[in-house]
Amino acid sequence: MRILLIVFAPVIGGLIVGFERIIRARMQRRIGPPLFQPFYDFLKLADKRKMMVHSSHAFLGLMHFISLWFALAVLLLGGDLILVIFLHLLSTSLLILAGFSTRSVFSHLGANRTAISVLAYEPVLIVIAVSIFMLTGSFTAASVFSYPAPLLFKMPLAFIALLLILPIKMKKSPFDVADAHQEITGGVELEFSGIFYEAVFTAKWLDYIFCYTLVYLFAGSNVTLGIALIGFVFFFTNALDNSTARVNYKQMLRFSLAVSFSLAFVNLIINILL
Amino acid sequence: MKLSAFRKKSPWILHYNAGGCNGCDIEILACLAPKYDIERFGMINTGNPKQSDILLVTGPVTKRSRERLVEIYSQMPEPKVVVCCGVCACSGGVFRDMYNCEGGVDQFIPVDVYVCGCGARPEQIIDGVVEALSILEKKTKAMEETVQLKNQPVNEGTQLNRRNTAAAIIQPQ
Repeated sequence: MRILLIVFAPVIGGLIVGFERIIRARMQRRIGPPLFQPFYDFLKLADKRKMMVHSSHAFLGLMHFISLWFALAVLLLGGDLILVIFLHLLSTSLLILAGFSTRSVFSHLGANRTAISVLAYEPVLIVIAVSIFMLTGSFTAASVFSYPAPLLFKMPLAFIALLLILPIKMKKSPFDVADAHQEITGGVELEFSGIFYEAVFTAKWLDYIFCYTLVYLFAGSNVTLGIALIGFVFFFTNALDNSTARVNYKQMLRFSLAVSFSLAFVNLIINILL
Repeated sequence: MKLSAFRKKSPWILHYNAGGCNGCDIEILACLAPKYDIERFGMINTGNPKQSDILLVTGPVTKRSRERLVEIYSQMPEPKVVVCCGVCACSGGVFRDMYNCEGGVDQFIPVDVYVCGCGARPEQIIDGVVEALSILEKKTKAMEETVQLKNQPVNEGTQLNRRNTAAAIIQPQ
């Protein structure tokens, strides 16, 4: 089951993105594109002429996709949570390197902002992983998947902290400074084109699966609760995306370090004391 | 199924104002709004030349925007189509022959579809883009690729010949 999920992760992520575009359109009283629209985009981009900036730029984009897939595989197979978080960081830093490797100003801006968003969500994730260790006695995701009671009721503050940093990771308003489409036209992905853009394009789909798996961790071995949590987070992030405007990167950093990080930290202290 | 069949299904738009009065631009943005909702055809306003298929140009080409227009056009990967929105982009409109205006877009880059009106109505813009999609489907990558000047005979596969071939395909006599 998990192997299937890992192998078909890009396909499932694409379906999630297609569904999300319909839901977001319905929230704005539009009809929205068909469900398979991401795949149409994918196949169209495969047909366009490749305009490579230079080979290492394209290679870094490709490696971003592969290392993200690897991080997702480690997470789904029940690997070490700290390792998973750092593998995810590795894939993001490959994208940052790709952004800095071109001469485009927008690309540099996007890479800068991606680095800042990593600074915003990474400490929170680490603290959440440590509090999971305090609760279950192990850093592995497998111990969480087999934990009898759902983690949600033992560490609700950490879940709220995760909920507040997910818009940063999924690049959604109000914290989509890294992707800021109307402002810097996508940032790091700006210089990718044709078939090489698809690596970055599909890496976003994988990122969705990664984020929803992190949410699923909070349900422990309870599958029904896990699916309910994923549904809740899906509607929450989309409603938030539709109803808020972008904040600037300083506000994002301040909010995430002041609110999300302190929530996760209080949760950690409670977990240590109890 | 060939990949070229999917060109029509996800046209990504690049919107460039070459010096117009913003009247056509708000109509283009009205197409994206709930009433006309062109996202249901899979269109996205990308703002990024390297990932877009359709170049929507509004306004007369001024001396300042001329180089940027050509640069944006050359940064778009093939296959691509150009749609002129509004009478200014088609011929210069009321600004024609003014000292700061260079005239229509087709003096600098090849234009596929002309959408008239001042400003062009959203229905007309959608109509023009749908027209552009049928042209986009017919265009082939090989015809638009730059001709490599090597030690090859000039008469075969040159840009002139390719242009004739393209014209024959796009408008079958």
